[in-house]
Amino acid sequence: MNLEKVVFGFFVLLAATLNFGFFIGDLGDPELHNSYELYSAVVVNLIATVLKFGDRTQIGAVHLATSLVAVLQLVAAALVWGYFSYVAEAGLSREATASVVSLSGGALVANIVSVVLLVVETVSFHRR
Amino acid sequence: MANPLLSFWYRLLTADEHHGSTARTPGQGSHRVDPGARRPPSRWRVPMASSRQASATIFLVMRRMRAPLIVLIVIFAITTLGLTLIPGEDDEGRLFHMGFFDAFYVMSYTASTIGFGEIPYAFTYNQRMWVTISIYVTVVGWAYAIGSLLALIQERSFRQALALQHFSRKVERMREPFLILAGYGRTGELLARSLDALGRRFVVLDRDDSRIDDLYLDPYQADVPGLVGDAGDPGHLAVAGLDHPCCEGVLALTDDDQANLAVAQTVALLRPDLPVIARGVSPAICRRMHAFGTPTVVNPFDRFGDHLRIALRAPASYQLMTWLESGPGARLPRRGAPPSHGHWVMCGYGRFGREVAHDLRAEGLDVTVVEPSDIAQDDPDAVLGDGYEPDVLARAGVARAVGFVAGTDNDITNLSLVAAARRENPDLFVAARQNRAASAPLFAAVDVDSLLVPADVVAHEVYAQLSTPLLWRFLQEVPRRDDDWAAAVIDRLVALCGEHLQAVWKVRLTAAEAPALRRWLGGGGARPRQLLLGDLLRDPDDRDERLPAVPLMLARGRAPGRSGPGDGFVVVPDDDVELRPDDELLLVGRPAARRLLDSTLFADATREYVLNGRHVPASWIWRTLTRRTA
Repeated sequence: MNLEKVVFGFFVLLAATLNFGFFIGDLGDPELHNSYELYSAVVVNLIATVLKFGDRTQIGAVHLATSLVAVLQLVAAALVWGYFSYVAEAGLSREATASVVSLSGGALVANIVSVVLLVVETVSFHRR
Repeated sequence: MANPLLSFWYRLLTADEHHGSTARTPGQGSHRVDPGARRPPSRWRVPMASSRQASATIFLVMRRMRAPLIVLIVIFAITTLGLTLIPGEDDEGRLFHMGFFDAFYVMSYTASTIGFGEIPYAFTYNQRMWVTISIYVTVVGWAYAIGSLLALIQERSFRQALALQHFSRKVERMREPFLILAGYGRTGELLARSLDALGRRFVVLDRDDSRIDDLYLDPYQADVPGLVGDAGDPGHLAVAGLDHPCCEGVLALTDDDQANLAVAQTVALLRPDLPVIARGVSPAICRRMHAFGTPTVVNPFDRFGDHLRIALRAPASYQLMTWLESGPGARLPRRGAPPSHGHWVMCGYGRFGREVAHDLRAEGLDVTVVEPSDIAQDDPDAVLGDGYEPDVLARAGVARAVGFVAGTDNDITNLSLVAAARRENPDLFVAARQNRAASAPLFAAVDVDSLLVPADVVAHEVYAQLSTPLLWRFLQEVPRRDDDWAAAVIDRLVALCGEHLQAVWKVRLTAAEAPALRRWLGGGGARPRQLLLGDLLRDPDDRDERLPAVPLMLARGRAPGRSGPGDGFVVVPDDDVELRPDDELLLVGRPAARRLLDSTLFADATREYVLNGRHVPASWIWRTLTRRTA
């Protein structure tokens, strides 16, 4: 067993699951989308991205690309959330929540691609 | 190749290629081919492992920065999260939880030790405790991350990777023909200066990094990429542009015969179409170099022996050759008069001593060899002992000798030998070998009659071969002429350019290099026009004057209607020699003469005046007008 692979797989999966946890529920309802979940999704996605640094294989490059997309979307979601909670007059309205959650939904797609890549890599590794 | 699709296509296509070539030429099996019939592939795959390594620098940084970055992210995450969880109070004493944005803002300025204060409300003691812990933890995180980055930049392998990447990028961008110079010692440096003066481009490989530093300090007109690396490594040669389409040759000039052999082999195997010039001292290595392709091997000792024979026979020829070989700007060397009859004493019987003793004897001289070790036992006239001992010199017969050669591989010994021999016999003709460049002022002060510097010999020889093929042919021709002829040529050159050699250049009478002249030569109706060399070399400012240039050699172009190579050469052609299209001329003269001659070759009006003495208008309008009125 390779500890590096365990850690890598753990963070890639955790990034996807946390993302999913935040995303699920009525799109516009602020009650159903916890800000702590968004926070942890951002942090875990950042760690997963850094873990993918420096892999020179083709599949490693695609891995890094998907993670960068996910981080970009989640950070955008966090910025939107921060703007509406602190700056905007209306506060975290239904529309604002909807845009935050849909941004994180985009990140979820990237995270799913990441997990698929992980599975492909694992399967092809065993076949060799 | 990690992409399965790519590797699939790669395998499919390359397998197909192999199959196709074997199908077309059934005799060319892998091992049963006779070497003569082997067809060289159009493009050689040179191992580029090192260059791929170079492109990986950024990956190296990213890989090393993984741990510090993750530590930093985790520390930030925990401290920010803690700040949102710990309950605080607002200004009216009510329970207040900090939001993520506030917490991240506070942690950002706290971690970077800026410290804007407690916002949005004054902290409770719980919060202050947490912030205290956070400050210490985050500072450690930052220090770790920045420290790792700085350590990485300082690291030797990382800097080498950066240098390699920089070098290979520069080589890839070369768009004009260039040479690869393997070895940048004394020889390499001399040659590099001459090549730079000729406007040739080159890249440099040397094992010693201080030499590469010197390369960047030396003032060259062109940008000269240099790499620290072993030239014997095919990967390094590949990075230096061995498979670059503009590479026009490889010079193996290290002081290590084995390394030069490795370079010659690599080039012969990977790019057999490229010319190689290699320095070789040991005869065994020179033979092994010749086994691979057709490299030009320059052996300084062998060349010095040849030069010495020429100098014995014809001092002026020798003087002319060394002057022309030294390149533009060189001072006219002194014309030595080595005694060609009598007794010579030769100190040192290594590779150099053997070569010179052999050449001196071949000239009919009587040579006594002095050698402290017993390697000279096979020589009948050997005297065992150190040459600077008076009794050894007396036994070797220095008192009655006419010539003396100090040829050991140690400069200090050579200087002692010269001094000791002169004390015994002040009228001796003294030749000495200088091994290290640093000893040059000492040998200049001793003022020997003939000095061998192996590095200079190689540099001059390679320069003569590379500068223009005509100069090389001319130098081959000089020893076949007699001494008076050479002395006359030297007198002409000195009268023209003075004691310092001026520009040496080549003119080819082709449509591209002499368009105006070709129009005149070619468009003469039925009878081809006659062009005399003396007419061509008239001054465009006043055609009664001659251009300040001496034609050294004329290589005949192909006569009309005949094929094959040119008809031969005329050495130092006279003014009444007739020029034909595609002739090549080697000229020596002032740089101004070169510019003036170029205007004769390129501009129709100038050519008309120089050849016929007619003034014709240069511009199109006036030409049209004069044609109308005429």
